[in-house]
Amino acid sequence: MIDVIVIGAGPAGLSGAIECARYGLKVTVLDEFIKPGGRLLGQLHQETSGNWWNGIKESEELHSKATSLSVDVQCGVSVHNIEKVDGHWYVHTNKGTQLTSFVLIATGAAEFPIPVPGWTLPGVMSIGAAQVMTNVHRVKVGKKGIIIGANILAFAILTELQLAGIHVDRVLLPEKSPFSQKAAIPQEVLKSLLHSAHLAPSRLLRFGSKFMNNEKLRRLGIRHYPKKGFKLNGTPFQLRKAALEIVGVNDVEGVLVADTDEEGNTIPGSEKFYEADFVCIAGGLYPLAELAAVAGCPFQFIPELGGHVPVHSEKMETPLEGLFVAGNITGIESAKIAMAQGTTAGISIANSSQKCSANIDKELQKAVHNVHNVRRGSLIHFNPDIESGRKMLKDIWSSQYEIKSSKLNNLKKGS
Amino acid sequence: MFEKMIICRCEEVTYGQLLLTVKRHQCTARELKLRTRAGMGFCGGRTCRVSLDRMIESVIPNTPLCEIPLKYQPPVRPVSFGTVGEAK
Repeated sequence: MIDVIVIGAGPAGLSGAIECARYGLKVTVLDEFIKPGGRLLGQLHQETSGNWWNGIKESEELHSKATSLSVDVQCGVSVHNIEKVDGHWYVHTNKGTQLTSFVLIATGAAEFPIPVPGWTLPGVMSIGAAQVMTNVHRVKVGKKGIIIGANILAFAILTELQLAGIHVDRVLLPEKSPFSQKAAIPQEVLKSLLHSAHLAPSRLLRFGSKFMNNEKLRRLGIRHYPKKGFKLNGTPFQLRKAALEIVGVNDVEGVLVADTDEEGNTIPGSEKFYEADFVCIAGGLYPLAELAAVAGCPFQFIPELGGHVPVHSEKMETPLEGLFVAGNITGIESAKIAMAQGTTAGISIANSSQKCSANIDKELQKAVHNVHNVRRGSLIHFNPDIESGRKMLKDIWSSQYEIKSSKLNNLKKGS
Repeated sequence: MFEKMIICRCEEVTYGQLLLTVKRHQCTARELKLRTRAGMGFCGGRTCRVSLDRMIESVIPNTPLCEIPLKYQPPVRPVSFGTVGEAK
């Protein structure tokens, strides 16, 4: 029997698998995509050190490290259910059912495509789809595009599209609606972007930084935000324009846009049509936790982490014995944090396994600390309040779950 | 324009249909799903789940948030009947 099944061959899953294998456990990794790497595959950006972060290279390194430790990485396998029967986990896939003692769910995140009238036309895609088409499949998404939604992910992928020579005409906001919420309010959008000001030395962010800490000044800044927008490497970012409708008969022909006030309300009579042959909707990411849910894991709603997340400890264990989580399923953060969490989960699993007799408590503590260090050192935060979200969950764990699981462990040790 | 906008792409349920149902029945997420089939299609609600949650939140305030509004059911990926049934 396999000791560990890891679901998801992204940065968290592969790092977890490597760690388990290092401690002598027999590991299988399942991923539904055609190749390993997960969302890492699409990433390409220059870091402040000047080095390039090439996700394809990072994926290959993780994959070959895993393979050299005899981890069995299977692609094109979809897990549709997991359940615990008589102390073992049954992992049901489109290629049959596998049995294991430990499961690490590292399924990452899914995108929230904000519905906009016309969003079902061919040529409309989520921003992540444009990234995968460009950087993974090397398919040109179109000749002239418009991005609806201004968040860190959108701007990161905008840069990648520009690197690939794809023309993005403009970035603007979605119209105010129950779906777009804060993403349609210029104030809120600017506030969330300013936390990465040191990342992009652009005029926009220098402009914005001055207004960051003072709400009155921020309002003033938004009121005087130029209609044409500030250019980010050639593409105007129009904070005071909203997409009313994606227009087209058989496919995308353009976007109907209106000017907005500081609160995101559209100004009647200001409507204008902009031509485009593709549109990317950037609504952000949420933890893809469906398998943790069908397994029966309890959840918490923590907006700072991106929505509903399975309850887990800093050691990446869940209240369900033998079930661990790592990566974006635990909260939306960058790949480096996912890797650190994966490593922690791997050591945690080895620590719980009877096959591993060595005392590795110290290694585990080190790994938990490392997650904190990587988080503190990271320049991009998808949510500026990520630390408080993590703290909230940690408190919930220690007040409601920890005692229960440590009692269980003591019981086991005593028996 | 907003009324005719499709929210659940798999089952082709529009914003107008959902809004009418929520207002008329003051539904929970589950009831809204059962009445309209929104979120019950091929993708298992992966695309419209957040939209449905937000709609209910805006029409019915104080929806409890610590529980997942729309329950997840296996299989969470589209599979053939042969895959989940007994092999013969």
